Amino acid sequence: MSDDLKTSGSGLVGGLFGTGTPTFLTTKVDFVVNWARRNSLWPMPFGTACCAIEMMASAASDQDLARFGMERMAFSPRQADVLICAGRVPYKLAPVLRRIWDQMPQPKWCVSMGACASSGGVFDVYSMVQGIDTIIPVDVYVPGCPPRPEGLIYGLMMIQEKVRGESLTRHAEHRFEDPDQAGRPEADDEEVRALSGPFGNSTRQEESAGLVSEGGPATPRPLIP
Amino acid sequence: MTELVQSEPEGVGAHPTVPALREAFGDSILRHEVVAGDEHVVFVEPLRIVEILRWLKETPAHLYDFLSDVTAVDYGGGRPIQVVYQLYSIQHRWALRIKAELPISELEIDSVVPLWDAANWLEREVFDMFGVTFRGHPDLRRILMPETYAEGHPLRKDFPLRGRFTRAEQTRRALSREPKDYYIPADLEAGGEPQLVRWQETPEGPSEESNDR
Repeated sequence: MSDDLKTSGSGLVGGLFGTGTPTFLTTKVDFVVNWARRNSLWPMPFGTACCAIEMMASAASDQDLARFGMERMAFSPRQADVLICAGRVPYKLAPVLRRIWDQMPQPKWCVSMGACASSGGVFDVYSMVQGIDTIIPVDVYVPGCPPRPEGLIYGLMMIQEKVRGESLTRHAEHRFEDPDQAGRPEADDEEVRALSGPFGNSTRQEESAGLVSEGGPATPRPLIP
Repeated sequence: MTELVQSEPEGVGAHPTVPALREAFGDSILRHEVVAGDEHVVFVEPLRIVEILRWLKETPAHLYDFLSDVTAVDYGGGRPIQVVYQLYSIQHRWALRIKAELPISELEIDSVVPLWDAANWLEREVFDMFGVTFRGHPDLRRILMPETYAEGHPLRKDFPLRGRFTRAEQTRRALSREPKDYYIPADLEAGGEPQLVRWQETPEGPSEESNDR
């Protein structure tokens, strides 16, 4: 049977999904699935600050995000594909953001909208997350303070481009991505330290401030009576 | 250009309440300033703060019945932290600011929740941001920072801008937090919201029924 297939030249060598090389079926299925996915992305708006105003403007009639298939803002993470984090995220909100990301079904993508969500922005202070990529994996960063609606739409079109290039066999990697690991920079600690100079930067301040890190699990302080 | 702070103003423009306050409390009224043209600030003895504020609230000639704000100021350098009470008399349309200075080493003052319910969350905020303990407060917990926050009181001048832990440590702690950290066990058992825990010491204090207002 398999000999027949090999000699018939139909491209089905090694099963329907191929072994390493794209087959006729996988490419066509990928094309159809990606076409469907990228034209019906449902955003989950996570608006915490002024960027959310621009996000609303993007969805309103003048810019009309629905042109790109974002027909419906999904206010439940269970029915969303793209998390748009618009605005600054304090540490108190970090577990909430992580939980919302965990609740979104795969496949899912994330847009970090604006300077604060991408890097902490001007809020390099005790209470603020320095970039949501330390909490969840991010696909597209949209710069700006806040970005114009065109910027957000461009970011979402980049998500569409990313979806276009994906394949079913590679979705498994995406699916099991560990948020803890995804936030790590690819460079190792020494390299980052060398780059950040004698004063450290917003995410590495050991050099400048003599800060301490307490190992072990964080235990709740006894509540004040 | 006039001076920003005018100490011990006399005569024209003097506040109608300040002389009466001096007469009633004498040495407990430490000093009187006018800032920004016409805002009267009275520094009082912290130990008598509830007494003084009760007098201001209940004396018919003054009736400062509206507590606009309770906050605090830290001018740094080890100077005392000032707890600020911004009062307003709706009937007379007078405003008055009362300040009590507390040395950094003993940040304790009596709570004014028995006088104004509005002071409840405001005092919690001052406790959270400055570490001032309000004696007799019904529910003195952090209100802005997470319940498990372990780095201190952020608005104090000796607090480092970026906090005391590294960013990695702060992120780790943030992600290991549970929503139930924000509730006290009794609340969780009762299924109630944290703000419903009320002070109930004296018969004239707020009662359980007043929760439903």
